[in-house]
Amino acid sequence: MITRVEVVARCGPGGRTVLPVVRASGQLAVRRTGPTSVHLVATAFGPLGGDDAEISLVVEEGARLTVHSVAAAVALPARDGEAASVQRVHATVAGHLTLAPEPTVVTARAHHRAELTAELADGATLDATEQVLLGRAGEEPGRWTGTTRVERAGCPLLHTTISLGPGAPAWLPPVAPRAYAATASIGATLPVATGQDAVRLPLDGGWSATAWGAELHRVVRALAALGGADEEVA
Amino acid sequence: MTAALLTLADSRLPAGGHTHSGGIEQAIAAGRVHDPSSLAAFLLRRLQTAGAVASGIAAAACGGADLAVLDAECDARTPSPALRAASRQQGRGLVRVGRRAWPSPVWDALPAAPHHPVALGVAAAAGGLAPRDAAAAAAYLSISGPATAAQRLLAMDPLTVAAVTARLSPEVDVVAEQSTSRATGSPADLPADTDPLLDLLAEVHTARRDRYFAS
Repeated sequence: MITRVEVVARCGPGGRTVLPVVRASGQLAVRRTGPTSVHLVATAFGPLGGDDAEISLVVEEGARLTVHSVAAAVALPARDGEAASVQRVHATVAGHLTLAPEPTVVTARAHHRAELTAELADGATLDATEQVLLGRAGEEPGRWTGTTRVERAGCPLLHTTISLGPGAPAWLPPVAPRAYAATASIGATLPVATGQDAVRLPLDGGWSATAWGAELHRVVRALAALGGADEEVA
Repeated sequence: MTAALLTLADSRLPAGGHTHSGGIEQAIAAGRVHDPSSLAAFLLRRLQTAGAVASGIAAAACGGADLAVLDAECDARTPSPALRAASRQQGRGLVRVGRRAWPSPVWDALPAAPHHPVALGVAAAAGGLAPRDAAAAAAYLSISGPATAAQRLLAMDPLTVAAVTARLSPEVDVVAEQSTSRATGSPADLPADTDPLLDLLAEVHTARRDRYFAS
Protein backbone atom coordinates (compact mmCIF):
# COMPACT_ATOMS: atom_id res chain seq x y z
CA MET A 1 0.00 0.00 0.00
CA ILE A 2 1.21 3.50 -0.79
CA THR A 3 1.00 6.02 2.05
CA ARG A 4 1.68 9.71 1.63
CA VAL A 5 1.65 12.32 4.39
CA GLU A 6 2.39 15.98 4.01
CA VAL A 7 2.43 18.59 6.76
CA VAL A 8 3.55 22.20 6.49
CA ALA A 9 4.00 24.29 9.64
CA ARG A 10 4.12 28.05 9.22
CA CYS A 11 4.58 30.94 11.61
CA GLY A 12 1.21 32.65 11.62
CA PRO A 13 -0.15 35.86 13.14
CA GLY A 14 1.25 36.60 16.59
CA GLY A 15 3.95 33.92 16.23
CA ARG A 16 1.38 31.14 16.44
CA THR A 17 2.15 28.03 14.37
CA VAL A 18 -0.45 27.33 11.72
CA LEU A 19 -0.64 24.25 9.52
CA PRO A 20 -1.65 25.38 6.03
CA VAL A 21 -1.08 21.88 4.62
CA VAL A 22 -2.16 18.66 6.34
CA ARG A 23 -2.65 15.84 3.86
CA ALA A 24 -2.62 12.08 4.30
CA SER A 25 -3.53 9.09 2.17
CA GLY A 26 -3.04 5.36 2.58
CA GLN A 27 -2.28 3.85 5.98
CA LEU A 28 -1.85 7.04 7.98
CA ALA A 29 -4.10 9.89 8.97
CA VAL A 30 -2.92 13.12 10.62
CA ARG A 31 -4.72 14.73 13.57
CA ARG A 32 -3.78 18.07 15.05
CA THR A 33 -3.54 17.44 18.80
CA GLY A 34 -2.07 20.67 20.14
CA PRO A 35 -0.98 24.17 19.19
CA THR A 36 2.23 22.82 17.61
CA SER A 37 1.67 19.08 17.54
CA VAL A 38 0.16 16.43 15.30
CA HIS A 39 -0.35 12.71 15.77
CA LEU A 40 -0.03 10.16 13.00
CA VAL A 41 -2.89 7.68 13.28
CA ALA A 42 -2.59 4.27 11.64
CA THR A 43 -5.75 3.56 9.68
CA ALA A 44 -4.70 0.03 8.73
CA PHE A 45 -2.76 -2.77 10.36
CA GLY A 46 0.90 -2.90 9.44
CA PRO A 47 2.99 -1.87 7.64
CA LEU A 48 3.27 -5.06 5.59
CA GLY A 49 6.32 -6.01 3.56
CA GLY A 50 6.13 -4.09 0.27
CA ASP A 51 4.28 -1.13 1.80
CA ASP A 52 5.76 2.25 0.99
CA ALA A 53 5.19 5.31 3.16
CA GLU A 54 6.53 8.78 2.54
CA ILE A 55 6.14 11.52 5.10
CA SER A 56 7.03 15.03 4.05
CA LEU A 57 7.38 17.64 6.77
CA VAL A 58 8.11 21.30 6.22
CA VAL A 59 8.67 23.60 9.17
CA GLU A 60 9.08 27.18 8.07
CA GLU A 61 11.10 29.81 9.90
CA GLY A 62 9.62 30.72 13.28
CA ALA A 63 7.27 27.71 13.31
CA ARG A 64 7.38 24.69 15.61
CA LEU A 65 6.09 21.20 14.92
CA THR A 66 6.01 18.02 17.00
CA VAL A 67 5.06 14.76 15.34
CA HIS A 68 3.87 11.85 17.48
CA SER A 69 2.12 8.62 16.61
CA VAL A 70 -0.75 7.14 18.60
CA ALA A 71 0.52 3.55 18.77
CA ALA A 72 3.49 1.35 17.99
CA ALA A 73 3.85 0.37 14.35
CA VAL A 74 3.96 -3.41 13.94
CA ALA A 75 5.89 -4.30 10.79
CA LEU A 76 4.72 -7.60 9.32
CA PRO A 77 6.33 -9.72 6.60
CA ALA A 78 5.23 -9.60 3.00
CA ARG A 79 2.60 -12.21 2.20
CA ASP A 80 4.94 -13.67 -0.38
CA GLY A 81 8.56 -12.79 -1.06
CA GLU A 82 10.90 -10.89 1.18
CA ALA A 83 10.06 -7.30 0.31
CA ALA A 84 10.75 -4.82 3.10
CA SER A 85 8.27 -2.24 4.29
CA VAL A 86 9.70 1.24 3.79
CA GLN A 87 9.06 4.50 5.59
CA ARG A 88 10.82 7.62 4.35
CA VAL A 89 10.58 10.82 6.33
CA HIS A 90 11.80 13.93 4.58
CA ALA A 91 11.96 17.04 6.73
CA THR A 92 12.82 20.53 5.59
CA VAL A 93 13.26 22.63 8.69
CA ALA A 94 13.86 26.34 9.19
CA GLY A 95 12.08 26.42 12.58
CA HIS A 96 11.95 23.58 15.09
CA LEU A 97 10.90 19.98 14.54
CA THR A 98 10.45 17.22 17.12
CA LEU A 99 9.92 13.71 15.80
CA ALA A 100 8.85 11.36 18.56
CA PRO A 101 6.86 8.44 17.18
CA GLU A 102 5.97 5.38 19.21
CA PRO A 103 8.23 2.31 18.79
CA THR A 104 8.42 0.20 15.66
CA VAL A 105 8.05 -3.52 16.38
CA VAL A 106 9.44 -5.73 13.62
CA THR A 107 7.88 -9.19 13.70
CA ALA A 108 9.54 -12.45 12.69
CA ARG A 109 10.52 -12.63 8.97
CA ALA A 110 9.61 -8.98 8.41
CA HIS A 111 12.13 -6.37 7.23
CA HIS A 112 11.43 -2.71 7.86
CA ARG A 113 13.48 0.14 6.39
CA ALA A 114 13.25 3.55 8.02
CA GLU A 115 14.84 6.58 6.43
CA LEU A 116 15.03 10.06 7.87
CA THR A 117 16.46 12.88 5.81
CA ALA A 118 16.45 16.23 7.54
CA GLU A 119 17.57 19.34 5.69
CA LEU A 120 18.04 22.14 8.17
CA ALA A 121 18.51 25.82 7.52
CA ASP A 122 21.05 27.74 9.60
CA GLY A 123 19.55 28.20 13.06
CA ALA A 124 16.95 25.45 12.66
CA THR A 125 16.62 22.92 15.47
CA LEU A 126 15.71 19.25 15.50
CA ASP A 127 14.98 16.47 17.97
CA ALA A 128 14.39 13.11 16.33
CA THR A 129 14.01 9.93 18.37
CA GLU A 130 13.34 6.41 17.19
CA GLN A 131 12.66 3.23 19.13
CA VAL A 132 12.84 -0.25 17.68
CA LEU A 133 11.97 -3.68 19.03
CA LEU A 134 12.74 -6.82 17.04
CA GLY A 135 10.06 -9.48 17.48
CA ARG A 136 7.02 -9.57 19.73
CA ALA A 137 7.17 -11.52 23.00
CA GLY A 138 8.31 -15.10 22.41
CA GLU A 139 8.88 -14.46 18.72
CA GLU A 140 11.96 -14.56 16.50
CA PRO A 141 13.36 -11.10 15.72
CA GLY A 142 12.64 -9.36 12.44
CA ARG A 143 15.08 -7.19 10.54
CA TRP A 144 15.35 -3.40 10.75
CA THR A 145 17.52 -1.00 8.76
CA GLY A 146 17.49 2.67 9.69
CA THR A 147 19.26 5.48 7.85
CA THR A 148 19.49 8.96 9.30
CA ARG A 149 20.93 11.86 7.37
CA VAL A 150 20.97 15.37 8.81
CA GLU A 151 22.25 18.30 6.79
CA ARG A 152 22.56 21.92 7.79
CA ALA A 153 22.86 24.52 5.03
CA GLY A 154 23.75 21.71 2.63
CA CYS A 155 26.58 20.30 4.76
CA PRO A 156 26.14 16.78 6.21
CA LEU A 157 26.23 16.68 10.02
CA LEU A 158 25.26 13.06 10.57
CA HIS A 159 24.77 10.14 8.20
CA THR A 160 24.44 6.67 9.64
CA THR A 161 22.83 3.40 8.64
CA ILE A 162 22.13 0.96 11.44
CA SER A 163 21.10 -2.60 10.61
CA LEU A 164 19.64 -4.90 13.21
CA GLY A 165 18.36 -8.44 13.12
CA PRO A 166 19.41 -11.71 11.49
CA GLY A 167 21.89 -11.15 8.66
CA ALA A 168 22.88 -7.63 9.72
CA PRO A 169 26.57 -6.88 10.36
CA ALA A 170 25.92 -5.88 13.96
CA TRP A 171 23.77 -9.01 14.50
CA LEU A 172 26.67 -11.23 15.39
CA PRO A 173 27.93 -12.56 18.64
CA PRO A 174 28.76 -11.26 21.15
CA VAL A 175 26.08 -8.54 20.96
CA ALA A 176 22.78 -9.09 19.17
CA PRO A 177 20.46 -6.46 20.58
CA ARG A 178 16.69 -6.87 20.10
CA ALA A 179 15.95 -3.35 21.26
CA TYR A 180 17.40 -0.10 20.00
CA ALA A 181 16.75 3.58 20.57
CA ALA A 182 18.45 6.65 19.16
CA THR A 183 18.14 10.41 19.21
CA ALA A 184 19.61 12.97 16.86
CA SER A 185 19.45 16.51 18.18
CA ILE A 186 20.52 19.76 16.59
CA GLY A 187 20.41 22.92 18.67
CA ALA A 188 23.06 22.67 21.37
CA THR A 189 26.33 20.72 21.40
CA LEU A 190 26.79 18.12 24.12
CA PRO A 191 30.05 16.28 24.88
CA VAL A 192 30.70 12.54 24.76
CA ALA A 193 28.92 10.42 27.36
CA THR A 194 29.11 6.64 27.68
CA GLY A 195 26.99 4.07 29.48
CA GLN A 196 26.48 0.34 29.46
CA ASP A 197 25.57 -0.30 25.80
CA ALA A 198 24.83 3.39 25.30
CA VAL A 199 26.86 6.23 23.84
CA ARG A 200 26.32 9.92 23.16
CA LEU A 201 28.47 11.69 20.57
CA PRO A 202 28.83 15.40 19.85
CA LEU A 203 27.86 16.86 16.49
CA ASP A 204 28.64 20.33 15.19
CA GLY A 205 25.86 22.21 16.98
CA GLY A 206 24.15 19.08 18.30
CA TRP A 207 24.55 15.51 19.47
CA SER A 208 23.46 12.00 18.72
CA ALA A 209 22.81 9.25 21.25
CA THR A 210 22.30 5.54 20.80
CA ALA A 211 21.39 2.72 23.21
CA TRP A 212 20.79 -0.95 22.61
CA GLY A 213 20.03 -4.09 24.57
CA ALA A 214 17.60 -6.88 25.20
CA GLU A 215 14.53 -4.99 26.40
CA LEU A 216 13.15 -1.78 24.99
CA HIS A 217 12.11 -0.17 28.28
CA ARG A 218 15.65 -0.58 29.64
CA VAL A 219 17.16 0.75 26.42
CA VAL A 220 14.91 3.81 26.52
CA ARG A 221 15.96 4.38 30.13
CA ALA A 222 19.65 4.02 29.19
CA LEU A 223 19.18 6.58 26.43
CA ALA A 224 17.52 8.99 28.83
CA ALA A 225 20.32 8.42 31.37
CA LEU A 226 22.81 9.79 28.84
CA GLY A 227 21.11 13.11 29.40
CA GLY A 228 20.47 15.82 26.92
CA ALA A 229 17.89 18.16 28.33
CA ASP A 230 19.62 19.31 31.52
CA GLU A 231 23.27 19.78 30.69
CA GLU A 232 23.47 21.82 27.56
CA VAL A 233 26.82 23.49 27.14
CA ALA A 234 26.14 25.08 23.75
CA MET B 1 45.57 -3.59 -10.85
CA THR B 2 49.21 -2.68 -10.48
CA ALA B 3 51.78 -3.52 -7.80
CA ALA B 4 50.98 -0.12 -6.25
CA LEU B 5 47.93 -1.77 -4.66
CA LEU B 6 50.12 -4.31 -2.91
CA THR B 7 52.28 -1.49 -1.53
CA LEU B 8 49.22 0.49 -0.44
CA ALA B 9 47.72 -2.43 1.49
CA ASP B 10 51.06 -3.59 2.91
CA SER B 11 51.18 -3.30 6.69
CA ARG B 12 54.88 -2.38 6.35
CA LEU B 13 54.03 0.85 4.53
CA PRO B 14 55.11 3.37 7.19
CA ALA B 15 51.83 5.30 7.34
CA GLY B 16 51.35 4.94 11.08
CA GLY B 17 48.56 2.35 10.97
CA HIS B 18 50.43 0.05 13.35
CA THR B 19 49.69 2.35 16.30
CA HIS B 20 45.91 1.80 15.86
CA SER B 21 43.95 -1.30 16.78
CA GLY B 22 40.63 -0.40 15.14
CA GLY B 23 38.77 -0.90 18.40
CA ILE B 24 40.22 -4.36 19.05
CA GLU B 25 42.15 -3.30 22.14
CA GLN B 26 38.97 -2.15 23.87
CA ALA B 27 36.97 -5.10 22.53
CA ILE B 28 39.52 -7.39 24.19
CA ALA B 29 39.43 -5.37 27.41
CA ALA B 30 35.63 -5.65 27.42
CA GLY B 31 35.88 -9.41 26.93
CA ARG B 32 34.19 -9.31 23.53
CA VAL B 33 37.21 -10.69 21.63
CA HIS B 34 39.16 -13.54 23.18
CA ASP B 35 39.65 -16.34 20.65
CA PRO B 36 39.78 -16.91 16.87
CA SER B 37 36.02 -17.17 16.42
CA SER B 38 35.19 -14.02 18.40
CA LEU B 39 38.01 -12.27 16.50
CA ALA B 40 36.52 -13.35 13.17
CA ALA B 41 33.07 -12.11 14.25
CA PHE B 42 34.48 -8.74 15.32
CA LEU B 43 36.48 -8.32 12.11
CA LEU B 44 33.41 -9.15 10.00
CA ARG B 45 31.20 -6.57 11.70
CA ARG B 46 33.99 -3.98 11.44
CA LEU B 47 34.47 -4.80 7.74
CA GLN B 48 30.76 -4.48 6.96
CA THR B 49 30.33 -1.17 8.80
CA ALA B 50 33.47 0.99 9.13
CA GLY B 51 35.12 -0.96 6.30
CA ALA B 52 32.20 -0.36 3.93
CA VAL B 53 32.20 3.37 4.70
CA ALA B 54 35.98 3.65 4.19
CA SER B 55 35.76 1.61 1.03
CA GLY B 56 33.10 3.85 -0.52
CA ILE B 57 34.89 7.07 0.38
CA ALA B 58 38.23 5.76 -0.91
CA ALA B 59 36.68 4.66 -4.20
CA ALA B 60 35.00 8.04 -4.68
CA ALA B 61 38.21 9.92 -3.80
CA CYS B 62 40.16 7.82 -6.27
CA GLY B 63 37.51 8.46 -8.91
CA GLY B 64 38.00 12.21 -8.73
CA ALA B 65 35.09 13.33 -6.53
CA ASP B 66 35.41 16.64 -4.66
CA LEU B 67 37.74 15.82 -1.78
CA ALA B 68 36.44 18.46 0.64
CA VAL B 69 32.90 17.14 0.09
CA LEU B 70 34.08 13.59 0.72
CA ASP B 71 35.91 14.67 3.87
CA ALA B 72 32.66 16.22 5.18
CA GLU B 73 30.74 13.05 4.26
CA CYS B 74 33.34 11.03 6.16
CA ASP B 75 32.88 13.28 9.20
CA ALA B 76 29.10 12.78 9.09
CA ARG B 77 29.63 9.01 8.99
CA THR B 78 32.15 9.15 11.85
CA PRO B 79 30.43 10.97 14.71
CA SER B 80 32.80 9.51 17.35
CA PRO B 81 35.49 12.13 18.14
CA ALA B 82 37.97 9.36 18.98
CA LEU B 83 37.40 7.64 15.63
CA ARG B 84 37.56 10.95 13.77
CA ALA B 85 40.91 11.74 15.38
CA ALA B 86 42.25 8.26 14.64
CA SER B 87 41.15 8.52 11.01
CA ARG B 88 42.70 11.97 10.50
CA GLN B 89 45.92 10.88 12.22
CA GLN B 90 46.25 7.92 9.86
CA GLY B 91 45.27 10.13 6.93
CA ARG B 92 48.13 12.49 7.72
CA GLY B 93 50.55 9.56 8.04
CA LEU B 94 49.51 8.20 4.67
CA VAL B 95 49.86 11.59 2.96
CA ARG B 96 53.40 11.88 4.32
CA VAL B 97 54.57 8.59 2.83
CA GLY B 98 52.27 8.72 -0.21
CA ARG B 99 53.55 12.07 -1.46
CA ARG B 100 57.10 10.66 -1.47
CA ALA B 101 56.10 7.32 -2.97
CA TRP B 102 53.76 8.55 -5.71
CA PRO B 103 54.44 12.23 -6.49
CA SER B 104 51.39 13.72 -8.22
CA PRO B 105 49.47 16.99 -8.35
CA VAL B 106 46.35 15.21 -7.00
CA TRP B 107 47.80 15.40 -3.48
CA ASP B 108 47.46 19.19 -3.54
CA ALA B 109 43.65 18.95 -3.69
CA LEU B 110 43.52 17.24 -0.26
CA PRO B 111 42.30 19.20 2.74
CA ALA B 112 44.74 19.49 5.67
CA ALA B 113 44.75 16.33 7.85
CA PRO B 114 42.25 14.45 5.68
CA HIS B 115 40.30 11.40 6.78
CA HIS B 116 42.25 8.22 6.08
CA PRO B 117 39.88 6.86 3.38
CA VAL B 118 40.06 10.19 1.50
CA ALA B 119 43.87 10.09 1.61
CA LEU B 120 43.80 6.43 0.62
CA GLY B 121 41.71 7.19 -2.46
CA VAL B 122 44.12 9.94 -3.49
CA ALA B 123 47.12 7.66 -2.91
CA ALA B 124 45.47 5.06 -5.13
CA ALA B 125 44.86 7.62 -7.87
CA ALA B 126 48.43 8.90 -7.58
CA GLY B 127 49.68 5.33 -7.87
CA GLY B 128 47.72 4.77 -11.07
CA LEU B 129 45.05 2.57 -9.47
CA ALA B 130 41.31 2.41 -10.14
CA PRO B 131 38.47 3.17 -7.67
CA ARG B 132 37.81 -0.57 -7.23
CA ASP B 133 41.45 -0.98 -6.09
CA ALA B 134 41.12 1.86 -3.59
CA ALA B 135 37.93 0.27 -2.26
CA ALA B 136 39.66 -3.11 -1.91
CA ALA B 137 42.60 -1.56 -0.06
CA ALA B 138 40.27 0.29 2.34
CA ALA B 139 38.17 -2.81 2.99
CA TYR B 140 41.23 -4.98 3.57
CA LEU B 141 42.93 -2.41 5.81
CA SER B 142 39.77 -2.22 7.94
CA ILE B 143 40.50 -5.75 9.16
CA SER B 144 44.22 -6.38 8.65
CA GLY B 145 45.39 -3.79 11.19
CA PRO B 146 42.92 -4.90 13.90
CA ALA B 147 43.83 -8.55 13.27
CA THR B 148 47.52 -7.86 13.83
CA ALA B 149 46.71 -5.85 16.96
CA ALA B 150 44.65 -8.75 18.33
CA GLN B 151 47.50 -11.13 17.64
CA ARG B 152 49.86 -8.95 19.67
CA LEU B 153 47.46 -8.24 22.52
CA LEU B 154 46.20 -11.80 22.94
CA ALA B 155 49.54 -13.45 22.04
CA MET B 156 47.61 -15.45 19.45
CA ASP B 157 49.18 -17.88 17.02
CA PRO B 158 50.15 -15.75 13.95
CA LEU B 159 49.16 -18.59 11.61
CA THR B 160 45.68 -18.68 13.11
CA VAL B 161 45.25 -14.92 12.79
CA ALA B 162 46.51 -14.99 9.21
CA ALA B 163 43.97 -17.72 8.44
CA VAL B 164 41.13 -15.77 10.07
CA THR B 165 41.99 -12.73 7.95
CA ALA B 166 42.46 -14.71 4.75
CA ARG B 167 39.12 -16.49 5.17
CA LEU B 168 37.38 -13.11 5.17
CA SER B 169 38.68 -12.43 1.63
CA PRO B 170 35.32 -13.18 -0.07
CA GLU B 171 33.58 -10.73 2.29
CA VAL B 172 36.30 -8.12 1.63
CA ASP B 173 35.63 -8.49 -2.10
CA VAL B 174 31.87 -8.13 -1.63
CA VAL B 175 32.30 -4.94 0.42
CA ALA B 176 34.76 -3.49 -2.13
CA GLU B 177 32.44 -4.34 -5.03
CA GLN B 178 29.30 -2.91 -3.43
CA SER B 179 31.05 0.23 -2.21
CA THR B 180 32.59 0.88 -5.63
CA SER B 181 29.19 0.57 -7.29
CA ARG B 182 27.81 3.26 -4.97
CA ALA B 183 30.80 5.58 -5.46
CA THR B 184 29.90 6.95 -8.86
CA GLY B 185 26.78 8.93 -7.93
CA SER B 186 26.16 11.58 -5.30
CA PRO B 187 28.50 11.40 -2.26
CA ALA B 188 25.33 11.36 -0.13
CA ASP B 189 24.62 7.88 -1.52
CA LEU B 190 27.91 6.38 -0.32
CA PRO B 191 27.63 3.58 2.28
CA ALA B 192 26.98 4.87 5.80
CA ASP B 193 26.84 1.59 7.74
CA THR B 194 27.50 2.19 11.39
CA ASP B 195 28.12 -0.01 14.40
CA PRO B 196 27.33 1.90 17.60
CA LEU B 197 29.35 -0.68 19.54
CA LEU B 198 32.51 0.48 17.74
CA ASP B 199 31.71 4.10 18.66
CA LEU B 200 31.23 3.14 22.30
CA LEU B 201 34.42 1.05 22.42
CA ALA B 202 36.40 3.90 20.82
CA GLU B 203 35.17 6.49 23.32
CA VAL B 204 35.76 4.27 26.36
CA HIS B 205 39.21 3.41 24.97
CA THR B 206 40.33 6.98 24.39
CA ALA B 207 39.55 7.87 28.03
CA ARG B 208 41.89 5.13 29.31
CA ARG B 209 45.42 5.91 30.45
CA ASP B 210 46.77 2.36 30.24
CA ARG B 211 46.29 1.69 26.53
CA TYR B 212 48.92 0.41 24.10
CA PHE B 213 47.23 1.60 20.91
CA ALA B 214 46.15 5.10 19.90
CA SER B 215 42.68 3.77 18.98
